[in-house]
Amino acid sequence: MKRKTRNVYIYVNIGLAALVPFGLICLARHERTTTPRWAIIQDMDKQPYYKPQRPSKLFADGRAMRPHIPGTLAQQDFIFVNQAEVRVHPKTWAKGHVVLASKKVYDSVLYGQKLVHGQGQWLTHIPIPLTKRFVERGRTEFNIFCEPCHGYNGRGNGPVNRWDQRLRKEGSPEAGTWVPPSNLLGPGVAYLSDGLIYNVIANGVGTMASYKDQIPVVDRWAIVSYVRALEKSQKVVPVAKLPYPIRTRLKSLTVKLNAKGKKKKKS
Amino acid sequence: MSERPFFVFPKWSDWLTKVIVISTLIIPVYLVILIAYGCSARTLNVNYAPKQPVPYSHAFHAGKLGINCEYCHTDVKRAAYAALPPTQTCLNCHSLIAAKSRKLQAIRNSYGTGKKSLAGMSVPWIKVDDLPDYVYFNHEAHVNAGISCLVCHGKVNEMTRVYQAKPFNMAWCLNCHRNPAPYLRPRNEVTNLNWTGKNKVKLAKDLGLTVATLPHNLGKYLLKRYHIPSVKLLTDCETCHH
Repeated sequence: MKRKTRNVYIYVNIGLAALVPFGLICLARHERTTTPRWAIIQDMDKQPYYKPQRPSKLFADGRAMRPHIPGTLAQQDFIFVNQAEVRVHPKTWAKGHVVLASKKVYDSVLYGQKLVHGQGQWLTHIPIPLTKRFVERGRTEFNIFCEPCHGYNGRGNGPVNRWDQRLRKEGSPEAGTWVPPSNLLGPGVAYLSDGLIYNVIANGVGTMASYKDQIPVVDRWAIVSYVRALEKSQKVVPVAKLPYPIRTRLKSLTVKLNAKGKKKKKS
Repeated sequence: MSERPFFVFPKWSDWLTKVIVISTLIIPVYLVILIAYGCSARTLNVNYAPKQPVPYSHAFHAGKLGINCEYCHTDVKRAAYAALPPTQTCLNCHSLIAAKSRKLQAIRNSYGTGKKSLAGMSVPWIKVDDLPDYVYFNHEAHVNAGISCLVCHGKVNEMTRVYQAKPFNMAWCLNCHRNPAPYLRPRNEVTNLNWTGKNKVKLAKDLGLTVATLPHNLGKYLLKRYHIPSVKLLTDCETCHH
């Protein structure tokens, strides 16, 4: 009898000891490790070729991918425009392509300018046919690239701006030299020609950085179209485009308001 | 007359049966289970979270601020590779906000405003979700077919330090390639990692439908709408190992 119970104890102990490795593995499963995975069978996991954005000792800058040679364009950077008008090619459109192109039209699409008597002038229209799909694409791109600062409605109060205001309130030095982004629905932007807005997206203005590398050419124009749509939906109209009687009334109103503001400041 | 048998196992040899049973049945079965569990892709690959040169928090930027994945990984919808952003993208904001933060030293080095010897060099980010070199995964194909970032990368918007969330072994890939329908969602919700699809009004808007005409089975509907190839093609060797 005694011997039998002893045996049972031994078996139970061995059984429990057998569970220990499982417990350890289970712990390891739920722990973050900073070391790379442990490949038991290597197969051909690591092959002597370069994947995108991998380091290489071959070049001085340590990159396997080579930068653009100045003055050249990558294939996907070409804007293909038809002789007379820019026509969006349905298949490649998502990639930011348009169909090819006389140099004149190409330049006007790329720089947002047209040549008048040898001088560049900002385009006053969007050089790509406006469709619902195009403006909707503008919305998705706007919500990706512009929303962080300018907000979904374009009034200049996106999450990044709100966060900076909070840092400022707390007196944190991290608030830095941030300047609140401009209100896209204000008259400041409504007055700008389409080509100029395009140029701001492409090359930046003030503290706003250039988005040339992040947004392809056609998408920049799509964003311009969406900014215009936002203005329309929020009924922001440049004063010059208002009907005459309203314009004069507005003028007198602003004069009055300005006078009031000045009086208050003095007192 | 009873003859003595030729050979009789002595009584003490009873323990041999135990040894044989244990060594031929229990121990091998135990080892097989242990190795299968310990060396499974889920155990080995998941939760790899290397320390990055910059303690960039996706939980803050993508989660709290709600910046879209595509703001930095711009190429994901038009290239096979969802590129890491250039240093300039960080500086869109960080040239103004927290510009002098100690955490951003590697960024400043790369941009040329820090250590002179490192100017123009890439920030040495460490790749987390890495596939074997004989698999050719295409981001463009998946994202434009309505496969969310979430399916492979997990809830990145809740990760302070990015870790590998999925095992990335072939069986796991095939799990979806054999039956893609339940993983699909409208294309414009691909980068929305909190998407549930329960908001019918929003869903209808995403698909350009009305609530009344919403398909009963969203997966099957999207399968047709996004022209997802047949399972036969999806599970062909050449689809991934070309």
